[in-house]
Amino acid sequence: MLEYRLTVKDRMVCDFFHPNAGGVENHIYMLSANLIRRGHKVIAITHSHPPDRVGIRWLLPALKVYYLPFPTIASSATLPNFLTFLPYLRTIVLREGVEIIHAHASLSSLAHEGLLHAHLMGVRTVFTDHSLFGFDDAASILTNKLLEAALRNVDAVICVSHTGRENTVLRARLLPQTVHVIPNALVADQFKPMPTIRSNDNERNTVTIVVISRLAHRKGIDLLVATAPRICALFPNVKFVIGGDGPKLIDLLQMREKYMLQDRIEMLGPVQHSDVRDVLVRGSIFINTSLTESFGIAILEAACAGLYVVATRVGGVPEILPEDMISFANPDEDDVVRAMSEAIDIVTANKHDPIRAHERVRSFYNWCDVAERTEKVYDTVMQQEPYDFWTRLRRTLQLGQFAGPIFAIILIVDCLFFVFLEWWIPRDDIDKVEMHWNQDDFVEVWMFILICSFRTDQCI
Amino acid sequence: MLEDSPQEEEWKRALWKKSSFPDNFVPGSFLSSLSKNPNFTPYTYWGLVVSSCAVTQHIATIFTFLTVFVRLNEGLLDPRLLVWISVGGFLTGYATWELLECSSNHNTASMTNRAKTVKSSILVFLALMSLSPVLRTLTAATSSDSIWALSASLFILNALLADYTGFRPEAQHRERLTSVLSMNAAISSGVVLASRLPSDVCVFALTLFSVQTFALFPLLRRRLQSGPTGVHIIVTIALCGSCVSFTAPVSSLAAYLVCGNFVFVTFVAPGVLVWAQRYKNEIRGTWDPAVPKVYTAGSSL
Repeated sequence: MLEYRLTVKDRMVCDFFHPNAGGVENHIYMLSANLIRRGHKVIAITHSHPPDRVGIRWLLPALKVYYLPFPTIASSATLPNFLTFLPYLRTIVLREGVEIIHAHASLSSLAHEGLLHAHLMGVRTVFTDHSLFGFDDAASILTNKLLEAALRNVDAVICVSHTGRENTVLRARLLPQTVHVIPNALVADQFKPMPTIRSNDNERNTVTIVVISRLAHRKGIDLLVATAPRICALFPNVKFVIGGDGPKLIDLLQMREKYMLQDRIEMLGPVQHSDVRDVLVRGSIFINTSLTESFGIAILEAACAGLYVVATRVGGVPEILPEDMISFANPDEDDVVRAMSEAIDIVTANKHDPIRAHERVRSFYNWCDVAERTEKVYDTVMQQEPYDFWTRLRRTLQLGQFAGPIFAIILIVDCLFFVFLEWWIPRDDIDKVEMHWNQDDFVEVWMFILICSFRTDQCI
Repeated sequence: MLEDSPQEEEWKRALWKKSSFPDNFVPGSFLSSLSKNPNFTPYTYWGLVVSSCAVTQHIATIFTFLTVFVRLNEGLLDPRLLVWISVGGFLTGYATWELLECSSNHNTASMTNRAKTVKSSILVFLALMSLSPVLRTLTAATSSDSIWALSASLFILNALLADYTGFRPEAQHRERLTSVLSMNAAISSGVVLASRLPSDVCVFALTLFSVQTFALFPLLRRRLQSGPTGVHIIVTIALCGSCVSFTAPVSSLAAYLVCGNFVFVTFVAPGVLVWAQRYKNEIRGTWDPAVPKVYTAGSSL
């Protein structure tokens, strides 16, 4: 496997990256790690997190991270300014010999800029969209236009679910053939079900329902607030464990107080991602009442930890698991109660085997497979003929009566800025990176040092 | 693409299944869940005309206020008469409000509420009276041109942000920020206009009138709007007629403008909206956030 060494260097550009935690951040890290394992060199670029996350860092399997000094405005997003990223990007691309830029997340301005500048250095582009957006409010209309402009000349797009793909194709007006579906994955070893079967009769009869979610409107907490007391009344042996924090926490607390369910609904507050598995295995049913979800990694993690899942039939959720591992409900109070009752019956009748569920999820999703499929996308992109400048300009002008000229001007100014940079910081003055971190060499050297020191100890 | 794919296996919309199709395979069912204008009920012309009456009424109030100002400024109207008109208008409006309260089943207005109303109206009356000398010289250092421009923009803001929905006393009601802003803009405009007037009594009369027309009258207007359509239309016609008859003696050009304005807002603008509906293209699909249906009372905040 190690002999298969590609010369391709990929680069992930995104506003959202370590040390922040989240779905997109985790996706980028896991994908990079697996691409490195497959012999690629991967560099990640994100904005800095002063005071301590600045400059260049190495993350464990030889992932080099550039933290650029851009101020963030809100939720880890930088201000879109279209041009200021170019001097950094040009230097990094020339130093590292980058061949593909892989940008992530549709609201990341660094990602948009990366896609805009890449062609100047002759670098190919891939974009991964992680989220779903509507079409019917002013914010969506604006961000969809921005996305359309950013993806006008991209070489390939990856979406995490079929629903996400349909959404992205419509939002950015892309040809469906250029959009690939590669799902997220998870590290199954981090979500192993509880091995021992509880012998205590009392414990055995109790069915614990776990909820781990951001407690926000989009996550359908209103449905949970409405259904939890009804489930508690219907099934005296049911308990809830709710983890997470957010604006709807207060509604849950009020509900618990109103129906006097303090002993049956346990509120854990915010849960660290590393503790999620330990919370999950306390229960046997996981419920997700999201109103929109492009992939639903939380559902997958719960299913992997051996829980039976109840979920609302929204977004990409129906695609991620076979029907016998999950009960679907419409986003409607009565139907959620029906699906939960069904799930409780299945679990009390011991029709759901956690170990088997874990093995099945393990066989469905792994990062190695995701990296392999992403690599195929890179290969097809590298074989394609890139757009020349005039095609780019023509395509940009086709964006629309107003947006077209605006983005065409940005494109031209970007080119002029690049010419200026070529004169100001000539290519020949930039040092090339010749050495890259190699984990195997490091381990070898480390072992050698250990052995040497051991021998010296003996000599003394 | 379709010819190359293996035909023995059927494409399934599932991510968990290992499939031999390429990742960028476009299935026949692509975008099958897309629906256009799913729950779209087209507006009817006459329904829109009735709804636009609220806007017409509001514009009529603004123009009536402006003619009152012009008359006061040129000495054509006795300020004492205006004060009496305001007081009379207030009493008539309050009586109408009470009648509406009695006719609806929600008889919430008690004696204490009435006492409170009387107390606060006397307070407003006295406060305005004591403030009017200050208000008269408030913008003495500013040129009149700036005041006209300022008050015009404030009235435009008022008309744009005003709440044109009907008011139902039985429904839980929360004042929106825009309607508060709208009222404030109109009152400020009234104050800056009043500061151009020659005497304290004039200033007092105009500010009192502005409170009547922009703070209290909209409440009554919205209350009437939710009542029978006939009343709503009669009120609109009465307001427009009085507005035109007040404006005509001051300036015939202004009267024509006001008439044109009313015709445009009431009859042309709804027609434009009905015509524009053919371009409506609302896209719905599985990616849209679902609307949760919750029945338990009290859980929906």
